[in-house]
Amino acid sequence: MTIAPRKYSALDYIRIPFRTHPVLSGMKALIIIVSALVPSVKIIGTASFVDTALDIFKNGGYSRIYAPLLLLALISAYTYCIGIFLNLINTRLTLRLGEEFRTAVTEKRSRLEYRHIENNDTWELISRVSNNPEGRISGGYEILLELLSIILMVGGILIVLAAQVWWAALAIIAFSVPLFFVAVKSGKTNYEAFKNATKYQRKAGYLEWVLSGRENVEERALFGYTRSLSERWYKEYETARKITTRTQALNFIKMKSSSIITIMVAVLIAGVLLIPLGNRLITVGMFMGLVNACFNLVQMMSWQLSYVMHQLANNNEYLKDLSAFSMLEEAEGANDLPDADIGRHSLESIEFKDVRFKYPGTERYVLDGCSFRLDRDKHYAFVGINGAGKTTITKLLTGLYQDFEGDILINGRSIREYSQSRLKALFSVVYQDFAKYCITLRDNIFLGNINGVDDERIAEVIEEIDLSETLARLDKGLDTPLGKILEGGTDLSGGEWQRVAIARTLAGNAPLHILDEPTAALDPVAESKVYELFGRISKGRMTIFITHRLGAAKLADEILVLKDGKIAELGSHDDLMALGGTYAEMFEAQRSWYA
Amino acid sequence: MSMTETKGPRPNVMKAFFKLLPTAFLAEPFLFILCQLVSIAHGFSWGITTLVTQRFFDTAELMARGMADMAAVAMSLLMLGLIYFSNQVLNGVGNFLPQVYGEKALGKIQQGINEKMARISPVCFEDTKMLDDINKANEGKNHAVFFVILVTFVFTFYIPYFLFMGWYLFSLKPILALAIVIVFIPAMTSQVLRSKVYAGLEDKAAPIRRQFEYYEGCIAGREYFKETRLLGAFGFFMRLYRQALELLNKERWKATFKTSMYELLMKVLALAGYLLILFMLFEALMGQEISTGAFTAVFASLGALFEIMEEVVCRHAGNIAQQLGTIQNYLNFLEIPERGGSDTVVDPDCDIRLVDVSFSYPSAESPAVKNASFTIKKGETIAIVGENGSGKTTIVRLITGLYLPDKGYVLHGDKKTSDISLKYLFKNISGVFQKYQKYQLTLGDNISISDTSLVPEEDYLDRVSSMSGLDPKDEAFVNGYDTMLSREFDGVDISGGQWQRVAIARGFYRPHNIIVLDEPTAAIDPLEEKRIYERFARIAKDKTAIIVTHRLGSVRLADRIIVMDKGEVVDIGTHEELIDRCSKYSEMWESQAKYYV
Repeated sequence: MTIAPRKYSALDYIRIPFRTHPVLSGMKALIIIVSALVPSVKIIGTASFVDTALDIFKNGGYSRIYAPLLLLALISAYTYCIGIFLNLINTRLTLRLGEEFRTAVTEKRSRLEYRHIENNDTWELISRVSNNPEGRISGGYEILLELLSIILMVGGILIVLAAQVWWAALAIIAFSVPLFFVAVKSGKTNYEAFKNATKYQRKAGYLEWVLSGRENVEERALFGYTRSLSERWYKEYETARKITTRTQALNFIKMKSSSIITIMVAVLIAGVLLIPLGNRLITVGMFMGLVNACFNLVQMMSWQLSYVMHQLANNNEYLKDLSAFSMLEEAEGANDLPDADIGRHSLESIEFKDVRFKYPGTERYVLDGCSFRLDRDKHYAFVGINGAGKTTITKLLTGLYQDFEGDILINGRSIREYSQSRLKALFSVVYQDFAKYCITLRDNIFLGNINGVDDERIAEVIEEIDLSETLARLDKGLDTPLGKILEGGTDLSGGEWQRVAIARTLAGNAPLHILDEPTAALDPVAESKVYELFGRISKGRMTIFITHRLGAAKLADEILVLKDGKIAELGSHDDLMALGGTYAEMFEAQRSWYA
Repeated sequence: MSMTETKGPRPNVMKAFFKLLPTAFLAEPFLFILCQLVSIAHGFSWGITTLVTQRFFDTAELMARGMADMAAVAMSLLMLGLIYFSNQVLNGVGNFLPQVYGEKALGKIQQGINEKMARISPVCFEDTKMLDDINKANEGKNHAVFFVILVTFVFTFYIPYFLFMGWYLFSLKPILALAIVIVFIPAMTSQVLRSKVYAGLEDKAAPIRRQFEYYEGCIAGREYFKETRLLGAFGFFMRLYRQALELLNKERWKATFKTSMYELLMKVLALAGYLLILFMLFEALMGQEISTGAFTAVFASLGALFEIMEEVVCRHAGNIAQQLGTIQNYLNFLEIPERGGSDTVVDPDCDIRLVDVSFSYPSAESPAVKNASFTIKKGETIAIVGENGSGKTTIVRLITGLYLPDKGYVLHGDKKTSDISLKYLFKNISGVFQKYQKYQLTLGDNISISDTSLVPEEDYLDRVSSMSGLDPKDEAFVNGYDTMLSREFDGVDISGGQWQRVAIARGFYRPHNIIVLDEPTAAIDPLEEKRIYERFARIAKDKTAIIVTHRLGSVRLADRIIVMDKGEVVDIGTHEELIDRCSKYSEMWESQAKYYV
């Protein structure tokens, strides 16, 4: 199954389950429809039982009672046990939907253009859609069936009634229609009002976190702001609570109006039926059966009806989300493997030509006329203040963002002519927030060269990257899962994780290595070790360091200083010091501490 | 996520109930009582409907036989309508009121939690077991309030209802009262069985579910997205994902199937009971001991009887069993030891003295700080240096008194930090922390949060801001001090550099004689970094200042430097002294300085 880009409608709550498993979906529908008809059969059962019993009192013939008694018993047995089978079918169907629909959602997510992942609005949409999608679909299907069931239940009773006294049936219809109308309306207002309250609930939720979170404990204790913030929390909480209470009160009134109308209808029917009962036009049993059936509707017409209406509105929102999600653009070749033909000598040059770029939905050009040229086998360092666009350059190079102005040439050809597969093979990046894959150590390294890396090479990599000691500590060697997700996993220190990430680069054949500011949570000693290690494994390849630690930049053949989205200065360390510009100023600022 | 589920002694329902009852009652006493009264009336009203239905059917039957007149039947029909009407009103109110009560009471209880949070020892947040209780206390309190309501409703709703039905059935024919027992037993057994079977199977499924969700994150989660794509690892993870899902579904199916079969067994048993009651009714009817009206009324209400029994025994008891864990977390949270000490005023101009101080984090094998002894004179600027994990942050927390030593003591003037309440201890202390908070509040609140007893006046805020290099008139702050610093709450996002300045202003806003300056490790460009140090230097002047730093360059600000290694104070002295005699220090210095010579 794939998530086709289109507008999804309530019909899809039927279509998707049927496409996933027609038999289960059909069985589910069948059971719910049959169950909806039970109250009507029960009327007939009760009627025939009571009438037979009364007749026996008069005329004898005890054994005639067994058939209607059996019917009553069967009805009871069915209502009592069917829930279990329904639950089994439901579970099975939901599990199958998990295998089909959820996997399809996940696959669609993996192919999305990267901007949708970084953009908060679309990311929230994605999170909403992929939160228990199988449950949303099977729940949506179920609610539609429940609605059908309510209609059938009422309809069935009406038909039995109409068969006895046709005009009473008309009267009940006249009452039921406005009833449905009220219920439909209450479902809608409900949704709006709750949305309104969430604004305050989110604020209260945030303050609750500030008042209890572990990250805040130091400031909370020192600054002692609990009392004042707790009062503010209470204000937000109460505002939200009053809104929800008011809506709930309204809902309860609406809901209970439905059942009170139903009571009135039931009393009306019972009253009206008294005339034919008095005239012996209907039997005592039929009278009792009908009256019971009507009064049994009372609870259903409040709780079940309002629940169904509420869920319908809710499910409609999910459909809107699903439609929007399905139409998010996908990146072509997103899940392709790196091109196996590209080797470490496949890169001659990279050239940025007057590149301008702003992140989607923002106004500021992060890169604004950025031009430079990088040549094979040289080491480069990109330096600049935060937000100068250093990391953005890697995102453009690796094809994560494609809608930039100007051109980027790789080996003299525009990056737009390169397939994702080739780009993936060209670059190996150790990101600042590199991934800590909680899989085995072997797989962690294997991912660096997914087209094939043998155990021998893995052993070499481990050796070169100083992970031998770590390896010795793992009880299942290379097959030990890292991290705490898999059972028997071993957690690594921050520095070890970083070396695992660098090991991936080493295992691969990419002709360009990029190291993106590896400094988070590393002390200076550890940090300089990372630079040295990376420099060592990247000998004889094009390398890019992205850093604000100028001492490390000194190691590069050429330093590119980014400022306001442009290359402000370019040259070797000595050139730039002689130039006396931004770089020199920054370097002096750091050196002054050590002079 | 945590592998270690709390497997303490099984929490006891009644014990938890009696512990929670006073809190729940006192939070909203009036509503609480009202809920119970409505609940009793509600319970009875269900029983009465059956009784009145029978009366109605009886008179209707008499009428059909020509033994009663229309008026009498109409009267009893009206009565039936009224009873149903009040039953529905009670049903509405009876369901609505507990919600109102619950939410109101939760507000009060949460305030209690907030205040308790501030009273427990900060070090408790480092204890994984306690942290679990702390984190789940909020969830637990939600469950706790409704748990209390549910348990009270057993007494005020369910028992009255069953008593009434029991009495009614008994009055029809004594043996029929057995129905209540027949209804109860299978429901109970099935619940016990289910919770046992399910718990075991759930334990098996939990790790697979964690795996499955993790692989989904590897494929499409934010933190893995770009790397997985660039590595071309989609296929790799998709395979693992599908495998985990298949396994998980197998377990889930097994669990559902097994519990369903148990349930079916129990249902068949219950059904036998049901049919037995039906048969008893039938016998009574045929023996003309009860009227057809009674038969029909009871038959119609049998469904409700079973449903309500199932509701209380299976649904409610099931929910309670599930929630008892977090309720226990909440109860544990209330028991967490509080930070003691008395409200004694500390001399604002005093030395701080550490005497043979050792400290270990809860459940850590080796101490984070060992046998530290030194004195910080008033007005002195002290730098603390050392590698990651050498105990720098811990020793600062011991100096300020945020943590209390396991061995030895810390003196502020002549008073031990353990003898002073947090509020009084911190009266003259402020700080800028490594992981400073980015409060999603207004700019003004972000600064003035460090001392909520002051009224934030614009003049003072301006002064503090300018000392911190923060310009409230910057275009980023669209509404000056009223700018909301959070995109989520319809405000603005500001840069990391701006946040840093806000944090410094916050530290500065709080009146202090002692200030802690913990260096930020987040990436900051060199020029900004230098400016931060200059601000630190300005703040440190005339006050006792403790600076924690990685970048040894900044130690020049300090009068003395404390060098830490593996929890021990290796040496204390000036930069020149340490370069000469402390190898640890000179090694660290070298590794950084070599880039700049």
